[in-house]
Amino acid sequence: MSGIVIAGASRTFGTVRAVDRVDLTVEQGEFFTLLGPSGCGKTTLLRMIAGFTPLDAGEIRFGERRIDRLPAHVRDIGMVFQNYAVFPTLSVAGNVAYGLKARRVPAAEIGPRVEEALAMVQLAGYGGRQPHELSGGQLQRVAIARALVIRPHVLLFDEPLSNLDARLRVSMRSEIRALQKSLGITAIYVTHDQEEAMSVSDRIALMNHGRLEQVGVPEEIYRKPATRFAAEFMGTTNLVEARALGLAAPVWVSLRPEALRFAEEAPVGWPRLPGAVVALEMLGPITRLDVKLENGSVMKMVLLDAPGQIVREGQVVTLAYDPSRLTVVS
Amino acid sequence: MTFAIPHGQRLPLAIAGLAFVFLGLFLVYPLVNVFGASFLDAEGTAFTFANYTKMLGRPFYRAAVVNTLEIGVAATLITTVLAVPFAFALARLPIPGKSAILAMASLPLILPSFVSAYALVLLLGRSGIVTQWLQAHGIGFGSIYGMGGIVAVYTLTLYPYVLLPTIAAFKAVDVSMEEAAQSLGSSPGRTVWTVTLPIVLPAILAGGLLVFIETLENFGVPFVLAEDMPIFAVEAFKLFIGETAPNPSSAGVLGVLLILTTTLVLLIQRRFLAHRRFATNARQAPPLLKVGAGVQALATVYCWAVVTLALVPFFSIVVLSFMEFRGPVLHPHFSLDNFAFLFDRALRPLANTLMFATAAALAVTLIGVPVGYVVTRYRSGVASLLDVLATLPFAVAGTVLAIGFIVSFNAGALVLTGGPLILVLAYTVRKVPFAVRSASAIVHQIDVSLEEASVSLGRSPLQTFLRIVVPLMLGGILSGMVLSWVTVASELSATIVLYSGPWSTLTVVMFQALESGGAGIATAAASFLIVVSLLPIALLYRLVRRYELS
Repeated sequence: MSGIVIAGASRTFGTVRAVDRVDLTVEQGEFFTLLGPSGCGKTTLLRMIAGFTPLDAGEIRFGERRIDRLPAHVRDIGMVFQNYAVFPTLSVAGNVAYGLKARRVPAAEIGPRVEEALAMVQLAGYGGRQPHELSGGQLQRVAIARALVIRPHVLLFDEPLSNLDARLRVSMRSEIRALQKSLGITAIYVTHDQEEAMSVSDRIALMNHGRLEQVGVPEEIYRKPATRFAAEFMGTTNLVEARALGLAAPVWVSLRPEALRFAEEAPVGWPRLPGAVVALEMLGPITRLDVKLENGSVMKMVLLDAPGQIVREGQVVTLAYDPSRLTVVS
Repeated sequence: MTFAIPHGQRLPLAIAGLAFVFLGLFLVYPLVNVFGASFLDAEGTAFTFANYTKMLGRPFYRAAVVNTLEIGVAATLITTVLAVPFAFALARLPIPGKSAILAMASLPLILPSFVSAYALVLLLGRSGIVTQWLQAHGIGFGSIYGMGGIVAVYTLTLYPYVLLPTIAAFKAVDVSMEEAAQSLGSSPGRTVWTVTLPIVLPAILAGGLLVFIETLENFGVPFVLAEDMPIFAVEAFKLFIGETAPNPSSAGVLGVLLILTTTLVLLIQRRFLAHRRFATNARQAPPLLKVGAGVQALATVYCWAVVTLALVPFFSIVVLSFMEFRGPVLHPHFSLDNFAFLFDRALRPLANTLMFATAAALAVTLIGVPVGYVVTRYRSGVASLLDVLATLPFAVAGTVLAIGFIVSFNAGALVLTGGPLILVLAYTVRKVPFAVRSASAIVHQIDVSLEEASVSLGRSPLQTFLRIVVPLMLGGILSGMVLSWVTVASELSATIVLYSGPWSTLTVVMFQALESGGAGIATAAASFLIVVSLLPIALLYRLVRRYELS
């Protein structure tokens, strides 16, 4: 078995190019995330792989096998939906056994495999329950067990955590990643939450307007955003013309707030920027500052909390930045 | 090559294909023949417009058009005026016994309307019981025959068409809109008038148009009450029965005019109402309004009076069926003679009624559920065409469809006249729109991702439909089936044209008894029909309750 190859995949809805000539290779066993704002085409691309949205052009292969013209039910995928999609007419065990029965797995084998899958998602002993007796988090675990029990070629996750509360979201995402790694099944994960994407993924494809904006490992996408869109979507940043930082080149650069410090705490080689604090937001572990430079542009910066640290609005400060963390964006 | 059809489209296309074959053969083909008949001469050979000029040239048939429309408009207006305050009271005012009122208010929809008309004749007709009693005391009153009686019966039997959707609409109004109006200084009364009523208006109009179409197509009520007054559906029937030439051109003309009128109304409804559903995202029903004891008492009396009044005719038929009749003359003694007479003379029609209703209910479910699924889930030209075609029977009066059936299946490759199958097929076609609508409403409630989950786990779309969708729809399918069964059992307008020899039904027995003055057997048959209609509904209600409680 080998990974998933998407070549030139396109899909138009009316006049909207939902997915526009996307080329992508996902390695076997990789946890790959499609990230982007709503309407960027990430869900359409996922549904193309699943077989629910036909391609206008291009192709999708699982290894050597072309699958984009196969009916969805023979593609050998396990999909986890945003709203769980647990069958309300079947018990928990019935839900998990559903795909095994469709594959005509011998009855004697089904029971143990269902139990094993439920144990993997920490629902051992829940087989006899009915879906309406379970909480949202438990339902999502059933949906995950149901998808992975069939040992599919690929696991597809369509914003699986967005209906859960914030705390559960954080614990579930590391569980999902651990499960995927222990089983070695290739996973494609769709989300609009960049933090979630960074925490679970081996690699991320950032999408915008149906196109791939940038593909890379989380650190790379965060630290070296290729475009303005990537720089802004992946977290707070200072997106300024290089001239504002006293540089000559006519380009836009991105500088993360954490790459800025007060001059007195910065290494000698860092360029200095005089200015004044115009806004300040104390968030507990960190304090966010807006500093207006003498040339008029406003820089965002972050301070880790420290005892005795006092910053006030209007205070005149000199900033310094790490030149190695300056990224030119297109 | 199956490659040309995207795999996701194969199941809906297969369903649509089968539905097109069925509706093409048993709906479009008969209707085309009715149109054809209206444009051919008496021998059925030469094309002509003469039938139209001849029919519309006669004052009698022009009067039929005017009468039918007048009655329809009057009934629609009165029904609406009656039902909207009723709906508001039930949705927003503290009325004791609401669930009982609601249950009683839906009964007229499943009870045969011509039974109500017949009851009116037995009570207030020329030799009616109440009439005679009043005459004995020297009190006279106006005639119930003609327009007044017909409109009254329509109002009492069709008001739920406006009431039920309007209640739902009043309950769906987001209360924060009313609160916004009041915070801006609008009084509660003005708020209802300027904010709430406009929001529910589309539901009221949709219900009103349903009433209007029902009045245009109804055959039984005017047959009982119109006497010499010409009415569309009745005259089409009389012309068809009386026509001796090979080609039923005159009946064809009336049929075409009737179809065109109802289609026009239906198109108006679709064109102007389909896009005027005001989306109000009410998370819960708006709270009851606080009103004075006087208003509450008035509203309570009003609601109870309307539901009760609508059921009085049915109730009195049941009572009368246990009394002794000598010919049309009633004697106030308790007696089971009418039923003995019914079971003696009309056992065969009785069995036919149950058999036809069962067969048609099964057939209509088998067609309606998959079609309802396809028209809801798939957006394509084929699906829209199927939707239109499956709604079309609603615009065709039973009498007209039946005439088309006779013309189409009297000779040639497929001969059905004279047998039982032609009745079952006509019933099935007539009930398809209701089955499709109700199935579609249920499918709307089912999350698509359940089906996608099943497909992604390896079940084909067909298996997914059978294993996931059908079990989820089961409750709705069952109640839709019972409703079809009940309404088929009391179908009159197509039956009266299509039945032959031993294949008559209870409604035919009633119809013949009305014509020959055999009031006793007619009341027994009507009582039996009422029981046969209520029993499955009550059983279903209990079943659903038990299912929900478990």
